[in-house]
Amino acid sequence: MEQTVNYSADGATAYNFAYLDEQTKRMIRRALLKAVAIPGYQVPFAGREMPMPYGWGTGGVQVTAAVIGPNDTLKVIDQGADDTTNAVSIRQFFAKTANVATTEKTAEASIIQTRHRIPEKELREDQVLVYQVPIPEPLRFLEPRETETRKMHALEEYGLMHVKLYEDIARHGHIATTYAYPVMVDDRYVMDPSPTPKFDNPKMNDMAALQLFGAGREKRIYALPPYTKVKSLDFEDHPFEVQTWKDECGMCGARDSYLDEVILDDQGNRMFVCSDTDYCSERQEAGHRGPQHHDQPLGKAAREKAAE
Amino acid sequence: MTLQSQTSDLLPGFDHAAFDSNAVFRVLLDAMSRPGCIYDLPVSIATPDGLNASATATLLAMADMDTTIWLSTSCMTKAANDHLKFHCGCPISDDVAQADFAVARIDDDLSFITRLSMGNAEYPDQSATLILMVDDITNAPAMKLTGPGIKDSHDLAIKNLPASFHTWRAENHHMFPCGVDVIFASLTQISALSRTTRIEVI
Amino acid sequence: MYVAVKGGERAINNAHRLLAEQRRGDKKVAEIQTDQIEQQLSLSVTRVMAEGSLYDRDLAALAIKQARGDLIEAIFLMRAYRTTLPRFAFSKPIKTADMDISRRISATFKDLPGGQILGPTFDYTHRLLDFTLMANGEEPLDAPCGEHPVDDHMPRVLDDILNDEGLIQDEPVPVDDTAPVADLTREPVKFPAGRDLRLQNLSRGDEGFVLALGYSTQRGYANSHAFVGEIRYGSVSVEIEPEELGFAIDIGDIELTECETVNKFKGSKTKLPQFTRGYGLVFGQNERKAISMALVDRAMRADEMGEQIMGPAQDSEFVMEHSDNVQSTGFVEHIKLPHYVDFQGELELVRRMRTEVEERLAKLDTETARPQPEAAE
Repeated sequence: MEQTVNYSADGATAYNFAYLDEQTKRMIRRALLKAVAIPGYQVPFAGREMPMPYGWGTGGVQVTAAVIGPNDTLKVIDQGADDTTNAVSIRQFFAKTANVATTEKTAEASIIQTRHRIPEKELREDQVLVYQVPIPEPLRFLEPRETETRKMHALEEYGLMHVKLYEDIARHGHIATTYAYPVMVDDRYVMDPSPTPKFDNPKMNDMAALQLFGAGREKRIYALPPYTKVKSLDFEDHPFEVQTWKDECGMCGARDSYLDEVILDDQGNRMFVCSDTDYCSERQEAGHRGPQHHDQPLGKAAREKAAE
Repeated sequence: MTLQSQTSDLLPGFDHAAFDSNAVFRVLLDAMSRPGCIYDLPVSIATPDGLNASATATLLAMADMDTTIWLSTSCMTKAANDHLKFHCGCPISDDVAQADFAVARIDDDLSFITRLSMGNAEYPDQSATLILMVDDITNAPAMKLTGPGIKDSHDLAIKNLPASFHTWRAENHHMFPCGVDVIFASLTQISALSRTTRIEVI
Repeated sequence: MYVAVKGGERAINNAHRLLAEQRRGDKKVAEIQTDQIEQQLSLSVTRVMAEGSLYDRDLAALAIKQARGDLIEAIFLMRAYRTTLPRFAFSKPIKTADMDISRRISATFKDLPGGQILGPTFDYTHRLLDFTLMANGEEPLDAPCGEHPVDDHMPRVLDDILNDEGLIQDEPVPVDDTAPVADLTREPVKFPAGRDLRLQNLSRGDEGFVLALGYSTQRGYANSHAFVGEIRYGSVSVEIEPEELGFAIDIGDIELTECETVNKFKGSKTKLPQFTRGYGLVFGQNERKAISMALVDRAMRADEMGEQIMGPAQDSEFVMEHSDNVQSTGFVEHIKLPHYVDFQGELELVRRMRTEVEERLAKLDTETARPQPEAAE
């Protein structure tokens, strides 16, 4: 049978606005409306194959593609940074297929797609935060079967999760979960916040911005409407607490942000810097300095040494 | 069959399918995320007899061959039927229990709403959405809304909302996570009630 | 001095240029053409079409070229293209009984109506490297034509032969062949999944995965000794019935391999002993996949047959959630993406827990070293 393929001059075929066809977008949009109506519940959707691999943000990309319009400004972060390769790749994808404005400034973005972090700067009502989710089911590592976990959510049967967390405490003296730390949404659904560090969990509670979660490979969408109660699971005698650092950010001196550890040499020297690159550069522009900032020929550490 | 004779009476759909349906969806997403907030319909659109502009835009943005629509008797005109079949390609059912979207006017007999699908405990998303065409939506303190999406509380007033609606809505809220979500569609404005929203009638 | 890494965009663009250079290889060697791939690597082409769920030989050849011969990457390219295509129509059920046969064998009968047709197969080749293919290229060969054309009527062994005696499980053909068939590319999969979804999942599932699971059923991880009732390969026509026409039209032919297995079944107090069956169907000539698929299909019918689940091949949720190589390759490989934010959390926790244990041990040491005022009773 005769096959014909239409190629445009530049070798690419013409795709719809934001890549997805309108029918697929409608299907995702319907799932999104249900997701906000049932906060924390995972809505199954017929996730499509995207032109990027599963596990690399296809869920977030599909959600963004369904939500984004020509007047939006998009920011994409991975590990809190705009310039990580996968963030660059996703940002380029939307710049190309939707011709939208992009930004690295949290405050300028109307849609922020993220992997593994929530920006440090407080988000506003007119912003949407889209999370890329690998495993949406918080109970999956306790019970691999979807048929079972779905029942547990239906019956609000979360004993298994509490037992797991309590075993952690018995064995380690701590809840040994540092990221993807499960939360209870509006006193009803246990939800996976995606693999953000638990440091970010408190930001989800009562957030002014709409939070949307897309899991492409697992074909689930869920959401947190603005101003929704999100509580990290814990026990009275072991209350939830977030990570803290002894150090400050080496570049901007921040003590309130999530820090990445950077290895400087093979002598064991290391420094800490903000994982949120926009937050860090904004603080530096405002004149804040950390001990390792290149503006500081005698950084704080060196000054202290000199004073001795 | 001649396509010409069928399409000649038809009204146009969206001017720009991708952009207009996106704009309408964003309003619906905002409305469902922030129950009781009132949003202006962001597009102008031709409206078939039986529907109003906000309801038409909502259906054109959200419905297609994968969704079943139910129309109340006053909405079920030939023009509305043709318009939706042509622009959405959606099945239109006379069985309200099958509806993904049910459309009615506020002065219709609303007794059908108890038969709308509420989903089930494992799949509460498999529920209907009610699109209720209304005359006027304001922030007058007729209902005090609280719940997810609402900072503190919102006031909302829907002109001529019958008491039976509130009775049904209270039961509906009690069934959470199952339940029906409601979109109020006036000529120019849209507001929504998510199944999570608690209503205090003032 | 620490400088935040920048230049991701440039790095990506350069990586793409390097990739293109590697794909082309040594420029002294002629560039491979997609029609060469389509004709001469035809089994790669059909595998890419089968697992890419898109029957288009030219696009599959292009995908293989672009993917440098990495078939999973090529399948991924096909899938990503397929997902953007509008759905014009659904075909009528194809009729494999009317297949234009290239090969057809039954392992359960020595001879049968329509005959055994060996056709093109690697089965009896001795696996000796043919160095002439490398040295001089091959002589143009024309396969001899059979003296007799194959029979027009080629009855299907299971339905048309075994079923006459009622020896095999009846597989009721749906009364209404316009009834909807599930499609996992259009709607989310729910478990337990129907057989239509299971078969679709297997047909586009990874060949290696389906092969390994099929193999596992033969080694005791499911109780299902199978015979190949029939395997047939050839082309069948695809028909659609546009609503405005009201009758079916032929839109082209596709090549398929179909396999039906016959499996043991003991019967029960109320049921006469009867053979059960498994079914495999795949684009192109791929008997390995079709047989494996039939084995796994039969294994996944454990619930229906009231059989105890003994192995992964019988667990349809396990099989269906892990058979897709585009999904699995993406998720397996995604762990090479940066995860340093989460790793930082783990580092902090491990350090803290180690410190706490060390402090506890040190405290214990000093306590035991201290002279006890009174011995415990």
